Amino acid sequence: MKPPAVETTIMTTFPDLPSESSQGVDAIISGFERLGYVADRSLATAVYLVTKLRKPILVEGHAGLGKTELAKALASLLDRRLIRLQCYEGLDVNSAVYEWNYQKQLLAIKIEEGSDKTVEEKERHIFSGEFLLERPLLQSIQAEDASPVLLIDEIDRADEAFEAFLLELLSDYQITIPEMGTVHAKHVPYVVLTSNRSRELGEALKRRCLYQWIDYPSLEKEMKIVCTRLPGIEEKLARQVVGYVQAVRGLGLSKPPGVAETLDCAEALLTLGKPQLDEEAIEQTLGCISKSVEDSVKIRSAGAGKLFIPPGEGVSQPRQ
Amino acid sequence: MISLKGVPSATAKTIVEFCRFVREKGLSASVQETLGALEAAAALDGKSSEELKFGLRSVLCSSKEDWDLFDDCFKAFWRGTVPELSPNRKPHPRDARRSRLGPRNTHPLMSIVSGDDVSSEQDGAQAVIGASTQERLTKTDFSRFPQSDMAALEQISLRLFKQMSRRLTRRRRSGTSRGQVDLRKTIRRNISRGGEPMNLRYRERKPRPHRLVTLLDISGSMSPYCIFLMKFLYALQKHFRHVDTFLFSTTLVEITPLLRSQRLQDALHALSQLPAGWSGGTKIGGSLREFNQLHRRKLRSKDTLFLILSDGWDTGEPDVLSSELGAIKRCVRRLIWLNPLLGLEDYQPITSGMNAALSHIDVFAPAHNLESLLALEKHL
Repeated sequence: MKPPAVETTIMTTFPDLPSESSQGVDAIISGFERLGYVADRSLATAVYLVTKLRKPILVEGHAGLGKTELAKALASLLDRRLIRLQCYEGLDVNSAVYEWNYQKQLLAIKIEEGSDKTVEEKERHIFSGEFLLERPLLQSIQAEDASPVLLIDEIDRADEAFEAFLLELLSDYQITIPEMGTVHAKHVPYVVLTSNRSRELGEALKRRCLYQWIDYPSLEKEMKIVCTRLPGIEEKLARQVVGYVQAVRGLGLSKPPGVAETLDCAEALLTLGKPQLDEEAIEQTLGCISKSVEDSVKIRSAGAGKLFIPPGEGVSQPRQ
Repeated sequence: MISLKGVPSATAKTIVEFCRFVREKGLSASVQETLGALEAAAALDGKSSEELKFGLRSVLCSSKEDWDLFDDCFKAFWRGTVPELSPNRKPHPRDARRSRLGPRNTHPLMSIVSGDDVSSEQDGAQAVIGASTQERLTKTDFSRFPQSDMAALEQISLRLFKQMSRRLTRRRRSGTSRGQVDLRKTIRRNISRGGEPMNLRYRERKPRPHRLVTLLDISGSMSPYCIFLMKFLYALQKHFRHVDTFLFSTTLVEITPLLRSQRLQDALHALSQLPAGWSGGTKIGGSLREFNQLHRRKLRSKDTLFLILSDGWDTGEPDVLSSELGAIKRCVRRLIWLNPLLGLEDYQPITSGMNAALSHIDVFAPAHNLESLLALEKHL
């Protein structure tokens, strides 16, 4: 195969495409920003495609980088309901899709004991919608008025069997309840799946989804996030904290701190009334950054003084 | 499916070509993804090359590895340069197959496998080896095998490994314990009795097969045992559903996809081509650290068995080995170390590496002959 001519830009390769989406992507970026969620263009483009193509999106990345937050922001942006399913090992259909209200069913059977209904009528009654407890997945396809946002959080924690079930749901957006019949989605939900990559997901599921990898943010982006989320913080302190956390990420910890940890640390410093970062402050807020003894030891032995820029000096690039 | 009218045919053609291009580079851009890419291009307007790139990336990638590869591919396609594939990317099965057609080299591994076909089609027909021969062969140390016995030994080993995995499979299924009452099934069953719960149904624990992660030491000191252990690993991954297999000497190389995709000889041939440091030095600690950094997510504490096949001669730091092994130990159900040298009568695990490792190991067993490998069953 022959790639197009050298040094042609995509602009000249695609002069003839219709134009309207740039506003769409920009609208998403600015909309997210109003909600306090800082998204780069890559993420915003993917979200734009989610809203246009109505495919699920799989967001992967290290812990604490705002994967879950994305779904919340998307729900607020679209002004839709957020339905959340937290996955865990052993998650089964009963707690993810639906469950019958057994106590109520037993009571109903007792109450109807004297009635002259046939067994079939009784059965139809106790397996009607009245006795059905809807769990997140069923809720998400039963929305009456508008498509909700369905967040399937930490899908890597659920087992393969559940993943296979999900695959079925995400392709047809319907759920079959043996006693009642098949429920079709009136409005296809916007689906956001997140994964920490604690295990490899199935190929089929991954292929069904748009994919987005969220990496640790650049210094500038992280600054923007800190300043957006903590409006009260002074820029000098924010820059110190971000520089410090970025340097810590370069230490090769077993659990490198994410943006959530940066925010925790900055907030802790604000609460402690520290005007700037120093060795004492680092020691006091170490618990925000490091979540294991080994990591704490690593940070201490790296020398707290080397990890942040003393006030007044320029910003040096953290080593990676 | 949305209409593709928005994409002019020239653009569509370029995108299809791009999909074919990235497929050659190792991304999984099948017809489905190509259609997805076209839809994405139609939804985006193409005013910004950046957005088109991001859009195509989210459609065509499905993992971090793809993600890292994509930028180069994109650049290469539109700038006319060909990206270097990163060396640690999994070889595509097709490439592996192609490599067997390449020139045969004189790797130690190949000199053993050349000639005798031990694929599974054959072992049924030729299963006529005297019991006494079998007995003798299963007890012989791998390193002392005369070449003439090799073919016979391979047949026995393949058969025995199959037996072993069958026994293991059966064992997983047995065992019924009564746990919680399953209300749903109970009510369903007792409707005809007016809902009085007479027949209770229980929720049983669903048995789940163990996952196996194996690391084989291929350094110089292990070379007499390497080929047999390699075949052992091949047999294991053929018959267990979840096995991840790695080779290590001074670095770590994953060979799971390589073993899975082909027959034994082709796999061995492809392995001999790997830049894995055959018969080199050993850095067990460093290799385990690499494992921890790159592959730890393959471990799940409740059901992963971690198997290391090594003689424990380590030229790295014992401290590193100990701490990395400790980290692995925390993530697995059982840590098993098979050491071929344990079969020697006067062997004591006193190498510094072995010493450092011993405190973390659950099972420390020999692996010098077939009998000892088969004994592994009771630890799995």
